[in-house]
Amino acid sequence: MQTIALLVKKPWFLGSLVVIFVSVILWNIPIEKRKYGLSQSGLVTDYTGLLPERIERVVKAENRSDLQRIVKRANVNGQQIAIAGLQHSQGGHTYYKNGVVLDMRTFNRILEIDEQQKTVRVEAGATWEDVQEAIQPVGLALKVTQSQSIFTIGGSLSVNAHGRDIRFGSMAETVKAMTIITPEGDIKTVTREDPDEWMKYIFGGYGLFGVIVDVTVEVTENHLYTIQTEKLKIGSYASYFDQLLNDQHMAMHYARVSVAPNSFLDEMYVINYKQTEKRDYTTALKKEQSVRLTKLALDIGRHGGALENLFWGTQKRYIASIDGKEITRNNAMRSESTFMEYTKPGRVEVLQEFFIPVHRFEAYMNELKNIIPANDKNDDFKIHNITIRYAAADRFTTLNYAKEDMFGLVVLMQHGLKEEQITEATSVIQNWTHLTLDHGGTYYLPYYRYQTKEQFRRSYPQWEKFAEEKLRRDPNNVFQNMFYDYYVK
Amino acid sequence: MNHKSTRYLPLVVTVGQVVIFPYYIIWLKEVSLTFTLFAWFFATFSFAAAWGYQIAQSRTNKDHSYIMFIYAGMGIVYILIGAIKNSSDILPYAVILLQVILGLLQGYFRAWHAEQDTYHLHAVHHYLIVGCAMIGFSFVKIISPVVFITIFGILMCMCAVWELFRKEKKKTIIPGK
Repeated sequence: MQTIALLVKKPWFLGSLVVIFVSVILWNIPIEKRKYGLSQSGLVTDYTGLLPERIERVVKAENRSDLQRIVKRANVNGQQIAIAGLQHSQGGHTYYKNGVVLDMRTFNRILEIDEQQKTVRVEAGATWEDVQEAIQPVGLALKVTQSQSIFTIGGSLSVNAHGRDIRFGSMAETVKAMTIITPEGDIKTVTREDPDEWMKYIFGGYGLFGVIVDVTVEVTENHLYTIQTEKLKIGSYASYFDQLLNDQHMAMHYARVSVAPNSFLDEMYVINYKQTEKRDYTTALKKEQSVRLTKLALDIGRHGGALENLFWGTQKRYIASIDGKEITRNNAMRSESTFMEYTKPGRVEVLQEFFIPVHRFEAYMNELKNIIPANDKNDDFKIHNITIRYAAADRFTTLNYAKEDMFGLVVLMQHGLKEEQITEATSVIQNWTHLTLDHGGTYYLPYYRYQTKEQFRRSYPQWEKFAEEKLRRDPNNVFQNMFYDYYVK
Repeated sequence: MNHKSTRYLPLVVTVGQVVIFPYYIIWLKEVSLTFTLFAWFFATFSFAAAWGYQIAQSRTNKDHSYIMFIYAGMGIVYILIGAIKNSSDILPYAVILLQVILGLLQGYFRAWHAEQDTYHLHAVHHYLIVGCAMIGFSFVKIISPVVFITIFGILMCMCAVWELFRKEKKKTIIPGK
């Protein structure tokens, strides 16, 4: 006690106390998260908040019969239903003007894990993280999912998501069976062999063909991988990837393209996950780490110009530092996401994804330089990040974005919310889409509707079949959303 | 003049700090994302104030003080608070730095003030003045707390200038005695 009393009289001791305390706070400053979703007063939004809309009400079903009753009643009463999970889609796919929003987050149970068959049966409102937590202790991992595990199973299947895996095809291909509630309110269990082809429309169907209640999804061994990273020039990427695909030891892959002025669309980093044949049962699922530090780095890069160069340099150093490290399959499929939070008033950060045939990549990237500026420091519309995923050809779903083997360019961009700023962003994105279409590519539909209806129809030539089936299977137009209303109806 | 400023400047500063406190709290709550962070900011201020108090007390030459710089420092911090954009990416980092500086300066000022002959008289007066001032301010509609904070910052800078003149004057009077 006496020692403490003596220490308190020393300025150096109190100074050290302040420094230590401040350091602890700096490390733990929480990150402000976007306010979006069903809780917004009076209006519903999705992740970007760009399409606020008034709805009639939000309903949560207690069980399957309850769900069935809600859908049947909507058929009788002429109500419209939109289906929502965690609402990470960005184009009004989860709500409809004056409609009912079916909040599926209550359906979040893991129903069955079959270790022999390597399958998991899970309710649609559960997240991939819930599934990972259930299967990791038995040495299993997901076959295909997005880079982050924050999405619901139903949401990911409705947008037919893809990720870093390069061996198992699209997410839709990993589903063995599922239980759905059809637009007329019938409960059905469907498989890929189902003569009614429900899966063909429900995967990538954006919630317009029924409610996914549960899904039996194939899983695989939770192997340990060695991370391999390499710096490349854009021009050599397509041939590099061809070789990579032929190496059967490579399980997962993605790449980052420079958007920094000094190396704009010229330099890139690849990150590969190579099989070690070791199966992992013990490594814990990783949690978000050093979020504040990563966010600070991203915030610096968000300013563009020299600071974007600095950010790219930091990314390169980080990527080089993980070369040779080991990671489990589960952990490679659950990257951090909180550091990407962006809450600046008057501005919004959105995603877009463009798919380009593998063999057109180099020519496409060269022409892209004419559409987006290398240095966007003084522009309102800014690009922060481009990552590349491989999307294997999908000939199963109707609105398929990968008609052949494609590279998906996931683009993180930012613009202001004033009318002229949105118009400018729309113009750049439409030009970008135009270039993509000219190279035989497509764009991804879960994001905000910057593209024209003509561009949608050109990207998805099967849209008429989609619309026709929608009317046939849902004659009372029970399942509706803003996306359908704008592009398909 | 010398006597008056020696007597009244610390009172003005003490009263001003208490009067501005509610506005400062509103601002701090606005820029803190969570209550936890708000409380941490306060704790930082408190630890820094203890540090500043101890620095002032450990001065070997008690006749010599940096009080003019303390006033100026406080003034600059309050003016900076008024100038910070709430949407800045670095806001939490800036706030924690300002809390450390403000705590340090306030602790130093309190220790220095306690050594002055007028301290006990000021203690009573400042309570009364603050009471009256707050009644007055209750009729002023707050548009934004930063307006008051900035005004107080300017006032503090004026106190620093006043203190500088007082010291200079004292220097010129003494040789001529």
